[in-house]
Amino acid sequence: MATAAAWDGPTAAELKAAGAEAIPGGVRLKGWVIQTNKGPILNSASVNLFEDKLQTTHLPEMVFGESFLSLQHAQTGIRLHFNALDALKAWKQEALPPVQVPAAAKWKFRSSPSDQVILDYDYTFTTPYCGSDALVLNQDTTQTSLDECSSLCWEDTDDQIDLVALSAKEPILLYDEVILYEDELADSGISFLTVRVRVMPTGWFLLQRFWLRVDDVLMRLRDTRLYCSFGSNEEVKPVVLREICWREATFAAMDAEGYPSDSAAYADPNLVARKLPVVTQKTQKLKVPS
Amino acid sequence: MGTSDLDRQIEQLKRCEPLAEGEVKALCLKAMEILVEESNVQRVDAPVTICGDIHGQFYDMKELFKVGGDCPKTNYLFLGDFVDRGFYSVETFLLLLALKVRYPDRITLIRGNHESRQITQVYGFYDECLRKYGSVNVWRYCTEIFDYLSLSALIENKIFSVHGGLSPAISTLDQIRVIDRKQEVPHDGAMCDLLWSDPEDAVDGWGLSPRGAGYLFGGNIVTSFNHSNNIDYICRAHQLVMEGFKWMFNNKIVTVWSAPNYCYRCGNVAAILELDENLNKQFRVFEAAPHESRGVPAKRPAPDYFL
Ligand SMILES: [Mn+2]
Repeated sequence: MATAAAWDGPTAAELKAAGAEAIPGGVRLKGWVIQTNKGPILNSASVNLFEDKLQTTHLPEMVFGESFLSLQHAQTGIRLHFNALDALKAWKQEALPPVQVPAAAKWKFRSSPSDQVILDYDYTFTTPYCGSDALVLNQDTTQTSLDECSSLCWEDTDDQIDLVALSAKEPILLYDEVILYEDELADSGISFLTVRVRVMPTGWFLLQRFWLRVDDVLMRLRDTRLYCSFGSNEEVKPVVLREICWREATFAAMDAEGYPSDSAAYADPNLVARKLPVVTQKTQKLKVPS
Repeated sequence: MGTSDLDRQIEQLKRCEPLAEGEVKALCLKAMEILVEESNVQRVDAPVTICGDIHGQFYDMKELFKVGGDCPKTNYLFLGDFVDRGFYSVETFLLLLALKVRYPDRITLIRGNHESRQITQVYGFYDECLRKYGSVNVWRYCTEIFDYLSLSALIENKIFSVHGGLSPAISTLDQIRVIDRKQEVPHDGAMCDLLWSDPEDAVDGWGLSPRGAGYLFGGNIVTSFNHSNNIDYICRAHQLVMEGFKWMFNNKIVTVWSAPNYCYRCGNVAAILELDENLNKQFRVFEAAPHESRGVPAKRPAPDYFL
């Protein structure tokens, strides 16, 4: 959006018209409380804490451990949460084999020291994480990791996220982007997990994105979109759709398709997304507890 | 190029105004004459202040000079990674280079892994040169200078300084001295390792990165290197540390990081290491320049009808 360079948030009139209320770090409307928090990267003490919790000695170089996006629906107790710790738990569990960089071929022929240990964790921090969810009956809970709560159920559906409705240029009552973690892959590319949210008078929408580029080897994009369209009546149970779309391609495949094959051409995942073939795609609906 | 020209250029660069293309060319030629004489293990006298990665964060480097004092009053050693990632790689590198030409004995610049043609084409410096000058000539002049930067420094024969770390191909400083450094950073071998490798807690000896390239070295490697070269400890940069510096392996190696609020979003502090004439250490920790002083207003992210 070209005019968006200096945004000071929604106007009081826009909030009022939507029946919304600005709260610290977020907005309250239609029974939802939507909040973001952005903190610095973990300090050494917190790194140790995370390493203990995750049972690993390797974390992304930049873990924004205090940052999160949270969406809570008071009436039903639905709580959706996006945070680095849970995302890294999912990374640990998926445990993909490491991706070799191009220089690795040459290194195989290099005389190696006899006491060499080859590390083999997934340094790309690829995660299948698509958010944490819980049914929170006590609204005072302020924990940031939700593994103690009962989780919600998502069912496959043929419904689709309404992109036409989402394209309407309604007022934006809350907009934010939260980085959960990022790694420079020791200058061999980029890996990050971010979540963006926008709240409009008629619904909220979020996009969590895992983006990986291993220079000259492969690109991987794992998008999770959540959309909740507000009904006309606040008493109606909310409908939340979740679309998961994973895309991936090697640089060799991109080259074969006639796309550029140099890493510098793939700095912005927004511009790359549609060029990458889809690996997995599904849409699910949140089963709202009664 | 006279001293008064240089002083004027330094003042201009301190205001974060880049030099004209012709001036860059002349400056680089002059710098080349100085750097070509330096050893791969450049000798540095104490007192000296050691600085880690800067990454084009010009206004934060000005904070560094506020904390550490101006050159030439303070004697500086910069451990590389001047460019890429930040918004002002051109002004950052040219200011350091101009200071080097003006006060060659009061500032030492060694090479980081970002001082490379290949890396700068992906991580920002190339694009920045193209944007600021409309051509890649300045990038060419600068990357040619990169090839002349020394690979390491030795402070009072007691502290070994390098951007990345050790190499299995290197056990003595003399083995570094004989490297032919005037080339693009190779993809493997001793010169590559010095600029790229990292210390690693999870190994005692040598480790190979899960990427399949890139060495990691453990405590035993550092202990034996320090012992056989009769040095007290290694001072290196290359890795982000939230607290600005980090000791490892019983104070046998320290990482110094000098880019506060790295990439303008990490919220980390930065540090420099001051050594007095007796090599007593003092870390000076500093924060990023306030938003106002770098002309970037602190705004909320612009809303965007993303899908
Ligand atoms: Mn580096």
